[in-house]
Amino acid sequence: MRPRISPLTFTFVLIVGCLTVGPVLMLILGSFSRGIGAFGVFTVEKYIRVYTDPSLPKILLNTAAFTVGSSLFATALALILAYLNIRTDIPLKGLFHLISITPMMIPHIVFATSWVLLLNPSNGILNLLLREVLGLKSSPFDIYSLGGMILVEGLLDLPIAYLIIAPAMASFDAALEEAAWVSGGSKFRALRRVTFPILRPAILASLALVIVRSLAAFAVPSVIGMPGRVYVLTTYIYRLISLGFMPDYGRAAAVGVSVLVTSTVLVYVYRRLTARSERYVTISARGYKPAIIGLGRWRYPLSFLTSLLFLVLIVIPVLVLLYVSLIPYVMPPSAKAFSMMTLKHWNYVLHDPLSLRALRNSVFLALVGATLGILLSTFVSYIIVRVKSAGSALLESLAFFSFSFPGLVIGIGFMWFFVRTPLYATIWALLIGYIATYLPYGIRPLTSTFIQISEDLEEASKVAGGGFLYTFRRIVVPLAIPGIVSGWILMASMFLRELSLSAVLSRPGTEVLAVQILRFADDSLWGQVSALGIVMIALSTTMVTLATLVGKHIGKSK
Amino acid sequence: MGTRSPQHRNGMEIKVSALTKIFRSPSGEEVRALKEVDLTIPANRIFTLLGPSGCGKTTLLRCIVGLEVPDSGEIAIGDTVVWSKKQRIFIPPNKRGIGMVFQTYAIWPHMTVFDNVAYPLQVRRLPREEIRRRVRETLKFVKLEGLENRPATALSGGQQQRVALARALVSEPKVILFDEPLSNLDAKLREETRRELRRFLTELRITAVYVTHDRLEALTLSDLVAVMREGVVVEVGTPLDIYFRPKHKFVADFIGKANFIEGTVESTSEDLIRVVTPMGPIACRRAEGLTPGQRVTVCVRPEAITIDRPGDTSGGTNTFRGRVVSLLFVGENYEGEVAVGKTILAIKTNPAFPIGEGEEVSVYIDPAQCHILME
Repeated sequence: MRPRISPLTFTFVLIVGCLTVGPVLMLILGSFSRGIGAFGVFTVEKYIRVYTDPSLPKILLNTAAFTVGSSLFATALALILAYLNIRTDIPLKGLFHLISITPMMIPHIVFATSWVLLLNPSNGILNLLLREVLGLKSSPFDIYSLGGMILVEGLLDLPIAYLIIAPAMASFDAALEEAAWVSGGSKFRALRRVTFPILRPAILASLALVIVRSLAAFAVPSVIGMPGRVYVLTTYIYRLISLGFMPDYGRAAAVGVSVLVTSTVLVYVYRRLTARSERYVTISARGYKPAIIGLGRWRYPLSFLTSLLFLVLIVIPVLVLLYVSLIPYVMPPSAKAFSMMTLKHWNYVLHDPLSLRALRNSVFLALVGATLGILLSTFVSYIIVRVKSAGSALLESLAFFSFSFPGLVIGIGFMWFFVRTPLYATIWALLIGYIATYLPYGIRPLTSTFIQISEDLEEASKVAGGGFLYTFRRIVVPLAIPGIVSGWILMASMFLRELSLSAVLSRPGTEVLAVQILRFADDSLWGQVSALGIVMIALSTTMVTLATLVGKHIGKSK
Repeated sequence: MGTRSPQHRNGMEIKVSALTKIFRSPSGEEVRALKEVDLTIPANRIFTLLGPSGCGKTTLLRCIVGLEVPDSGEIAIGDTVVWSKKQRIFIPPNKRGIGMVFQTYAIWPHMTVFDNVAYPLQVRRLPREEIRRRVRETLKFVKLEGLENRPATALSGGQQQRVALARALVSEPKVILFDEPLSNLDAKLREETRRELRRFLTELRITAVYVTHDRLEALTLSDLVAVMREGVVVEVGTPLDIYFRPKHKFVADFIGKANFIEGTVESTSEDLIRVVTPMGPIACRRAEGLTPGQRVTVCVRPEAITIDRPGDTSGGTNTFRGRVVSLLFVGENYEGEVAVGKTILAIKTNPAFPIGEGEEVSVYIDPAQCHILME
């Protein structure tokens, strides 16, 4: 009676398939085409040219060092923090939560520029201060280096690593560790021989995911890497499409294919590693209470260190930006600096038509994009959870496929597509690209919400006479509001700060905030960068706060 | 039959023909939950589907309401075919006009009591005033008046159960289905609610299909009981039929404690039928279609057996000598076992009657309560 795949499932398989498989196909076809105007004229010329480029080995080496370096750094730091927070009596535990949600507030490009402002060799504030205080001839730090990139990218990816490792640490049965002590081993030995091996899947998952993220990263490589001539694959691709008279989307696509393949393989590894632990994380409250270890005299020194990290991650970037946005040119804080304070950068930014347009576009994309995105996510997640068919399994794979998409690369895939449509150079091109690339972030919170809603509640509505859409509107959606709100927040904050996809798809008229900041940074207009950065931070903080409040209100009134 | 009850009207007959439902697990295994089930559920009766878990009773209920799609057969409610493999008919649950009370009640936690009950009427886009009136009447009927504006989750288990009932009744369905509605209540409340439900349903005179694995619930609530096993309806009858005159050993066994004594029919001529068994000849109640020499099983409920001091009555009809093997005090009486020859009989005795384990007793079985199974 019923077809194997219902029309509803089929419709969404089609939509999500176009959004995720579509750009990948276009990327591959594009890489074998003669040019963006000669799509479909088969050639392998692009591959030959790009993979025989003598500068490529150095770029691959840089990319490897950058991704692996930031991955190790972020994971190691996350391990220490998670251990301190969950397994010890360290004070100020509230800070850990803040550290884990910061990335939603401070966009990567803003974070990276604030580090440039602190540590660049010519007029980095911290460098200038140290030179003055220590009487040095040259700057002690140079952020424009592989080391600087790893430091900043590692800090940016720390929250992701933390969010993977902390739950694993929390669900860890302390009895295993206690058994090891009882068997005569020292605490450290127990840590090394028992704790870490058990956490290994989480550690490997964190390593894999941070590599994926840093492979796709564009903010740090462009703001920190490019001035120091340290190129990685994303900046290499960006150069192919943005420099010179003729942007070469063919060569960019040919390199992009390898990046995408690498990324997809790593995400596959990550999903395998977390398949068991993460999927039902909301349900598997096993009730283990990990034993808390007393830190003794290390308690305060260690909490000083975590507070310092909090400063470095949140307070200093914001303060530096605020300060630089108010002084005429970059200089260390001093009486003179404070006496010269001016609103001219703010004036400039708030009257600059380009910046204002970028602001409008970004807010539009965040609000409308996140709303459409969450609408799609709600239906897709519902089908994934409730409809048990081959079609829904396919839909799940399709939806999570974009989890491995590096924005810049997939942007090139979209470019090959949009150029052939009237959508090209419109805000809708960005909107579609955003939703496709960030779909998993909307679907994740919703699938776990739907799993928790008893199916009886929907069946009762059907029996009471409600059709599918009526039931969806009156029963399913109201019950899923917490998941919908958190998915919306996640998507909106990501759309507001989106850089890598926009760097490819944004055209005159469709500027967005992050791209505008990148432009200012290219021209070393640090005052403008800072003012716009503060605007961005303020916007995303307001949005997250408002959405959280609205979600709470709805949750209460029901 | 309260004239003020808002749902006073006639229900419809449900006819299930050759219904088969197969569940396929992801690993490809097939479970036949319903096997060619034929069943007629008469209008305006309380009809119970009774059976052990996994017998297919809930699946049958879900097929009737439309939440499960069968693999073959036909279901008709009144004159309307709601599902037919042959005619390719599938009326979705929201168009079948059935009320249902779920095992978990499925009360919507984000709504008030009023909204929960009003929902079926809101779906049908009835005028606001009419919705308010009918919800008020229905809530009054289930004795929940005044609780309209409470969040549904702030109610007790018993009250939630009545909200679920009100929601099922409010749209005046042709048929109302119950899926083990009492299984989430504690024992005392369950008894109370059972009595109340019986009153509601009797007043309504509506076709009600009730699924349970609790034989006591089935016996007290139903006009008719269908006992199911492994996807098949074994037997249909009134509670008294099912209890005292079951046709199948499985039914007799499932519905309550019973002694089964194998034997051979000796004569069918008299008022009573004589069956020769290892413990001696037993006089049984008349049953049709028996011939001398036929192998049968005699079914005797423990309460049909009377225990007495030995000696005085021996030799009479259905009187045997036995020895008490065990006795267990269970509150209102003793449950015990008596050996008559090599046959062990389960018995019940009055605690006031002083006997002890190992004692010789006389055992009398009322012939009117010796029932012959013709399996």
